[in-house]
Amino acid sequence: MLGFLSARQAGLEDPLRLRRAESTRRVLGLELNKDRDVERIHCSGVNTLDIEPVEGRYMLSGGSDGVIVLYDLENSSRQPYYTCKAVCSVGRSHPDVHKYSVETVQWYPHDTGMFTSSSFDKTLKVWDTNTLQIADVFNFEETVYSHHMSPVATKHCLVAVGTRGPKVQLCDLKSGSCSHILQGHRQEILAVSWSPRYEYILATASADSRAKLWDVRRASGCLITLDQHNGKKSQAAESANTAHNGKVNGLCFTSDGLHLLTVGTDNRMRLWNSSNGENTLVNYGKVYNDSRKGLKFTVSSGCSSEFVFVPYGSTIAVYTIYSGEQITMLKGHYKSVDCCVFQSNFQELYSGSRDCNILAWVPSLCESVPDDDDERRQWQPTPMFLPHGWRSLVGYSP
Amino acid sequence: MSRKRHRLVPETFGLKRRRELGDVEADPLRGESGSAREAVAEIVRLFPRVLFEDALPPIALRSQVYSLVPDRTVADRQLKALQEQGEIRIVQLGFDLDAQGIMFTEDYRTRVCDCVLKACDGRPYAAAVQKFLASVLPACGDLSFQQDQMTQTFGFRDPEITQLVKAGVLTVRDAGSWWLAVPGAGRFIKYFVKGRQAVLSMVRKAKYRELLLSELLGRRAPASVRLGLAYHVHDLIGAQLVDCVSTTSGTLLRLPET
Repeated sequence: MLGFLSARQAGLEDPLRLRRAESTRRVLGLELNKDRDVERIHCSGVNTLDIEPVEGRYMLSGGSDGVIVLYDLENSSRQPYYTCKAVCSVGRSHPDVHKYSVETVQWYPHDTGMFTSSSFDKTLKVWDTNTLQIADVFNFEETVYSHHMSPVATKHCLVAVGTRGPKVQLCDLKSGSCSHILQGHRQEILAVSWSPRYEYILATASADSRAKLWDVRRASGCLITLDQHNGKKSQAAESANTAHNGKVNGLCFTSDGLHLLTVGTDNRMRLWNSSNGENTLVNYGKVYNDSRKGLKFTVSSGCSSEFVFVPYGSTIAVYTIYSGEQITMLKGHYKSVDCCVFQSNFQELYSGSRDCNILAWVPSLCESVPDDDDERRQWQPTPMFLPHGWRSLVGYSP
Repeated sequence: MSRKRHRLVPETFGLKRRRELGDVEADPLRGESGSAREAVAEIVRLFPRVLFEDALPPIALRSQVYSLVPDRTVADRQLKALQEQGEIRIVQLGFDLDAQGIMFTEDYRTRVCDCVLKACDGRPYAAAVQKFLASVLPACGDLSFQQDQMTQTFGFRDPEITQLVKAGVLTVRDAGSWWLAVPGAGRFIKYFVKGRQAVLSMVRKAKYRELLLSELLGRRAPASVRLGLAYHVHDLIGAQLVDCVSTTSGTLLRLPET
């Protein structure tokens, strides 16, 4: 660490190296911490979490009862012990609350004035954060499993929505209507994700074992269907052109957008090259997955070797992305974990589970030993406890 | 969560992480082979040739290679390289999508030659099998063969392909494609599936559903385990049907909660 600091100071190394090394070290030390808590508001399972990309300060959570809560993650008290308080919430008594379970919430990518939420009640609602009122509602014919808005888009305001029907709907926030339909899947769409690198590239995952990459400007069809055998039918155990041997449950692009991770109900996770759809054949082993709807997992960003955090039953499994090595399993939840998000500024992980808790996993690197604090306090000169000889000088009367 | 992670947090940029599964000292079974070829050779040594009267080539499973080579991606790449060089043949065993059998090409060729030719002396398919072993095996290292590949590239006629299927060298996959197969492997698969269930049930019946590896290997094998406890344990560990926990008394095999 000191070596990195002095190298950075002397200009021998890029400042980014120190930052990446320290971020990686912190991610490897992720642990439950008794000093950090998230206030418990939900009375039923937490389905989705999202941290706003602008400051990393506010977190939204959506629950199985339709409640949406907004938390402030920043520790502005001077104490190490801190509970992330809920700033406001859309509770059951709110007139516009979702009727059924909220499946996905997402902040508007460019500021925190707006967020979107989609639910099993076949709607996608757009909320104004300051007044907590609905700005717009999109209605669909089928239950909505997932939605996503592009984090880098400047030329469009499309929200991709995956529903129980086989068509991916693209809703335009500016005009307030569904502008596009992407056809190609045969069963329900369980996850959608925009690329963080190109604003028109969308990836979708469906229960028909296929994952497709689309360019939304192209009318004719998908760009690539991901094939786990890379076109070699001779090595295939089953029919080719499928991404997994079961439903494809979750999708996540790496933070640079060059690779795509998918998880499926065949208990596998695969890493794909997002430019040509090639399976990189990195073997993560068995990634247990029995979720019947989408699984929301996340990747780290800003570390030297990136990590992926996947909910694995009631634990969270941490793997290195490019080598497939399992680093650890984070145990702490009582029931199955549904979602997790990574806060890249402080390298913290927040996870929500069916036991109604949101847990905060904080890097624990150096613990302050109680003995050191006591000693320091003894030596600190405070105005009250002057040594005996000085009392007469300052005129202190015993 | 593991307490060991505190000392594994590296101080430098390069992550030199010791694998937590690599508890080598106490257990003979968990010694890590460096490469996939050594792993296959070691499993082949464990294979009970006597049981099959030398009619079958010694078969290792892919999951057993994962048990001996801890990094799965590296193991996959090395196996693929060996397959491309023609040193090993990979065969799809029918009972599980993931279960693939691996054997050295030499073993396969000699055993199939001996066994098939012994069985079909004078029968019409000896010639077809000879032709298959001579022309197709060296040329194509894949698991399966397609109709046009067989007829055009290698010049097999339909009756000849039927003879190959009858001889046991090919298995029908769907219309127009066939898996490479090992003649007489049915017995092996039967013993293997029964043995796997038996060893798993040994762990399941233990108190708290966990067993020390040394204790498991020391127990008397039940009658349905014909291939040997060590052979099955490697497969269970590699297929992640049991979790390997390293303890101070050695490796512990525990059934996963999920």
